[in-house]
Amino acid sequence: MKWKKLGKIFDPTHHKLSNNCVEFAQSPQALVFDDFIRIYFSTREKDGTGKYLSHISFVEMDRDLGKTINISTNTVIKLGGLGCFDEHGIFPLNVVRNKNQIYGYIGGWSRRVSVSVETAIGLAISNDNGLTFERIGDGPILTSSLTEPFLVGDPFVAEFGGIHHMWYIYGTTWMDGPTKNVKERIYKIGHAISGDGIVWNKDGKQLVCDRLNSDECQALPTVIRFNDKYHMFFCYRQATGFRKEKDRGYRIGYAFSDDLANWTRDDDNVGIAVSDDGWDSDMMCYPHVFECKNKVYMLYNGNEFGRFGFGLAILEDPNP
Amino acid sequence: MFKWKKLGRVFNPQEVQGRNWLKEFAQAPSVLVFDDFVRVYFSCRPLPDENGQYVSYSAFVDLNRNNLFDIVNIAEKPILELGEPGTFDEFGVYPTSVIRNGDEVWAYYGGWTRCESVPFNVAIGLATSRDHGVTFNRIGSGPVLSHSVNEPFILSGPKIRRFNHCWYLWYIAGKKWIIAGGKPEPVYKIRMATSEDGSHWKKIDRDIIENKVEENEAQASPDVFFRDGVYHMFFSYRYSENFRSREHGYRIGYAYSRDLLNWDRDDAKAGIDVSQDGWDSEMISYPHVFELDGKVYMLYLGNQVGRFGFGLAELEEHQSG
Repeated sequence: MKWKKLGKIFDPTHHKLSNNCVEFAQSPQALVFDDFIRIYFSTREKDGTGKYLSHISFVEMDRDLGKTINISTNTVIKLGGLGCFDEHGIFPLNVVRNKNQIYGYIGGWSRRVSVSVETAIGLAISNDNGLTFERIGDGPILTSSLTEPFLVGDPFVAEFGGIHHMWYIYGTTWMDGPTKNVKERIYKIGHAISGDGIVWNKDGKQLVCDRLNSDECQALPTVIRFNDKYHMFFCYRQATGFRKEKDRGYRIGYAFSDDLANWTRDDDNVGIAVSDDGWDSDMMCYPHVFECKNKVYMLYNGNEFGRFGFGLAILEDPNP
Repeated sequence: MFKWKKLGRVFNPQEVQGRNWLKEFAQAPSVLVFDDFVRVYFSCRPLPDENGQYVSYSAFVDLNRNNLFDIVNIAEKPILELGEPGTFDEFGVYPTSVIRNGDEVWAYYGGWTRCESVPFNVAIGLATSRDHGVTFNRIGSGPVLSHSVNEPFILSGPKIRRFNHCWYLWYIAGKKWIIAGGKPEPVYKIRMATSEDGSHWKKIDRDIIENKVEENEAQASPDVFFRDGVYHMFFSYRYSENFRSREHGYRIGYAYSRDLLNWDRDDAKAGIDVSQDGWDSEMISYPHVFELDGKVYMLYLGNQVGRFGFGLAELEEHQSG
């Protein structure tokens, strides 16, 4: 497989964003329309305590992704209420067409005391082509369970053969890190299926094997079908040191499957890697793969987890 | 109509010696009956930490079956350790409800974690015992019943029962956090779920007990038993604000059902109320009804939600209808 990088296509610091957000355009998610592509992303506001709140915003581009047409100036989806799973942030909002509606799968964040956060997955629905979303309820549709004790997040939903599939991540461990009293999290990719996109059944097992070590963190899976195979892209990193040390930070990983049940990890064939210098030279993370005009694209974040925007790559050679 | 005769306080945790983890509170009593004794599980607390915050443990006392005021044994240690960092039950195991399942005893419990914007969240865990309920091990590090679209937070107060080969779990689910007296206080309602095996649950996903005192009434600690062809539920309820006062504090409510799904609330039939003075003069809560040797008893908490222990009442009279 071979991707051609087209460079950074959106920098949040060059635009005025809603909800007082000034930096970060993370986890880009595409929704393709007849004459434009809308890309949702998570951007950040600093609250009164100096901590971040992640809000959803979007940018609309032409179908070749060369020109910005519009940037949302309104609130796409409000943060959750007091004590709710998505009170302190939405990251990502995975948008999927479902009949005449757009389903927005919420990666919801709320703050904890002994560890920094907890996450769970919610659902909001749009009846105005994705301009605004309303939750189906205050609580999550997918959350912790016996063998997935915390940090259920990073939803990606796609329908194949009449069945809704969700790939997501779940936490396995909060471990002691190099900084005293700061726990670092480990998470893996999981899978659930649904008949309606609302009620889900988890497989209850790690879907993609580790490559680095058992403490590897795997995040933000995205799945696409071409050449009679299912292809999953995700990002992975070491459990510690990943913020500052280039060789421990996020990279794009890859796995393929014939049946959506068994996945073969094949990072050597991912066909995209960090650049020697520039905006994606330290890390690459939060990939989102989609098709438009018979071309396959990957949106992704670069250095500092997308603080200065996201970029684009196009699949040049789909063959292994 | 029920009529309960109060027999007095059975257990005061503040009198227990030699257990740092059991200093005050004996909350949410529920029983497991043995040949010679009645084991009463409850939840307790060590002294608060330097920030004034508590953790909760669950433990038990064994009462002489022939004299329930005779304490024959107190747990040497909590029945279950607290959860690992970041898990749902890192800061508390409270309350606990047990049931026999073959040679094992299964415990359903509320697991507590601490949050930033609100003080806590709760989900329901499951642990099993192979030593007749002295020690328990989790069946997983996550909860067995967690939050969902219409139950966004605070799943607590589990009571486990089996009727007609089906497992029933009554519990409470948070509806909203309101600001009362300048700080967040949760509003919660009684809910239920059913299961064929005790570990896979199907929520019925609605409030099953209508409100009485106000829309934001908090309903807690549902406890169901079967007698004379009817399912009886005792529970506790309180106002959403100033509930640490006598006027707005917990009282014991009552509802009945013939099918376990549809419940008629009729608090006038509960037949028990706060005392004029003494350990249960300000509030009564966490009722647990059980049958023993031809008599029906209720364990319940008194002032400050069990800070000073639990007491016992005996059913004097029960007229159907």
